Amino acid sequence: MAILTVRNLTKSFGALVANNDISFDVESGTIVGLIGPNGAGKTTLFNCVAGLYRPTSGRITFEDRDITNLPSWRIARMGVARTFQVVRPLKEMTVLENILVGAYMRTGNPAEAMASAKRCMEMSSLSHYMDRRAGGLTIGNKKRLEVARALATGPKLILLDEAAAGLTTTETREMVELILRMKSEGVTILMVEHIMEAIMPIADKLVVLNGGEKIIEDVPGVVVEDPEVIRAYFGEKYSRRLRKGAKEGNDDGRDA
Amino acid sequence: MNTKKISDGIWYLLLAGALVLPFIPGGIENTFHGHVLTMVFLYASMAQAWNIISGYCGQTSFGHAVFFGIGAYGAAMAVVQFNSLPWYGAPVGALVAALVSIPISAPCFRLKGHYFAIATFAIVEIFNRLFMIWDWVGGAIGLDYPILEDGWRNFSWSSDKTGYYLGALFLFALVFGVVRWIDSHRMGYYLRAVREGQETAESLGVNSSLVKLSAMALSAGLAGLCGAFFAQYNYRVDPPMVMSLDMSMKFVLITILGGLGTFWGPLLGAAVLIPLQEYTRAYLAHLGSGVDLIIFGLIIIYTMIRQPTGIMGLIRGLAPRGRDASNDGGDR
Repeated sequence: MAILTVRNLTKSFGALVANNDISFDVESGTIVGLIGPNGAGKTTLFNCVAGLYRPTSGRITFEDRDITNLPSWRIARMGVARTFQVVRPLKEMTVLENILVGAYMRTGNPAEAMASAKRCMEMSSLSHYMDRRAGGLTIGNKKRLEVARALATGPKLILLDEAAAGLTTTETREMVELILRMKSEGVTILMVEHIMEAIMPIADKLVVLNGGEKIIEDVPGVVVEDPEVIRAYFGEKYSRRLRKGAKEGNDDGRDA
Repeated sequence: MNTKKISDGIWYLLLAGALVLPFIPGGIENTFHGHVLTMVFLYASMAQAWNIISGYCGQTSFGHAVFFGIGAYGAAMAVVQFNSLPWYGAPVGALVAALVSIPISAPCFRLKGHYFAIATFAIVEIFNRLFMIWDWVGGAIGLDYPILEDGWRNFSWSSDKTGYYLGALFLFALVFGVVRWIDSHRMGYYLRAVREGQETAESLGVNSSLVKLSAMALSAGLAGLCGAFFAQYNYRVDPPMVMSLDMSMKFVLITILGGLGTFWGPLLGAAVLIPLQEYTRAYLAHLGSGVDLIIFGLIIIYTMIRQPTGIMGLIRGLAPRGRDASNDGGDR
């Protein structure tokens, strides 16, 4: 069953059409990857789903309810959490306090909120930094904090906007583990990712955008064979390597 | 966790000490420092009320003299115009202040940062003029209290001022108690989240408009209660006394000096600035009015240069651990 459906979504900023007539589904309990070159409209699409932008036209439903024009806090309360590509820590608050803000969405009881925040903090390996000022964390920890905070809201669907960008190889692997753990707890995941090592092995489905349009929506195995995707995004050489199944090759992870 | 325990300890010790003080012979009875302590508790409460919306929630208001004034008029109108008791006027005044703050601040909240602050400036002037020409509330002459019997019933004392001291202490315990509760509950986290990043807060389910409006209403209501006390204490009220930018600035300066968005900041700021104000008024009065404000200004400028986070920042700086946590190579 589709937990999220996007139908004929168009978002334009003046003359620039960032998303043009995009439709796709996210099935409950799966990991869906949203990929495409820079400027393809991935973050815009995220912002439309999360309620930060109002779509120009089209319809978005979550659990069969129309969320197209709802404010972002309301969408969050329905169970859609998101992280920001450019990290946005609540700088002057500590790591634990940041996560608590998320945890307070589901309960007003300080003890319950604390317990749930601590659980998310441990899951994201941030316990060591709990009393640190969030603004002073390293980028890797800020990325983890984005996820921990979103997770603390107890979401059914989580939107991860390049959660692994800028992380070291080890950190990327930890992030992938965290994502898989969220999936195993029943959270549906829609993620924008450029690092193919992070997304290819775990995605159940890929949606590829290019120039604001959807060019394909299918399982990773089919997507990497698609000539249009190869031309628009992977490039010949990289695609050949992907097809050979060079999945553990960490030497040249970033896309060109 | 440790600092929380220390803070709890100081809070209860302070309340107990302040409550016992009047029962010590020569403690505060009819002394000038009794008056100064009363003012410290009053101004600390005012600053703390302001701190809710401007410190914790980050929406700098220069309009709090309006809410303070409405509260003051609430008490004074009950006594002077309705021959009633301030006990009815004060809560009504506070409620009106809270209600008035909502339509005033709702359009202002659309403005970000400095523009919000500027808009609140204008509001003080508007209300000042409005009350100046409004005959029902005494116009420019204001309201003068009649001679009343001393005691809690009228909340007025002419000889032994201990009642005012205790009244100010209760006000202090109420306002600070409310903020202590907020600080450790959802509301406190939401206020600070809105201050640190409104869009981020909303992505975490925080209805930021509602948070700001309720913080403003609470802040204005508590400021109104402080105003009611002020009217009772001065036995009169007129527009320049309460609804002036001078008065608004006191809410702001005391909190900034003590430490914006911190629980103890407003008390620390008041404990420094108010004795200074009262003693300079007493001893430097021949230099003309406003000397206290000049000194206020100089202290603020000095603090902003040396320690922008106020006295609380100074105290935190003394604890080596706090330093480590805030400087580990990230941005500010």
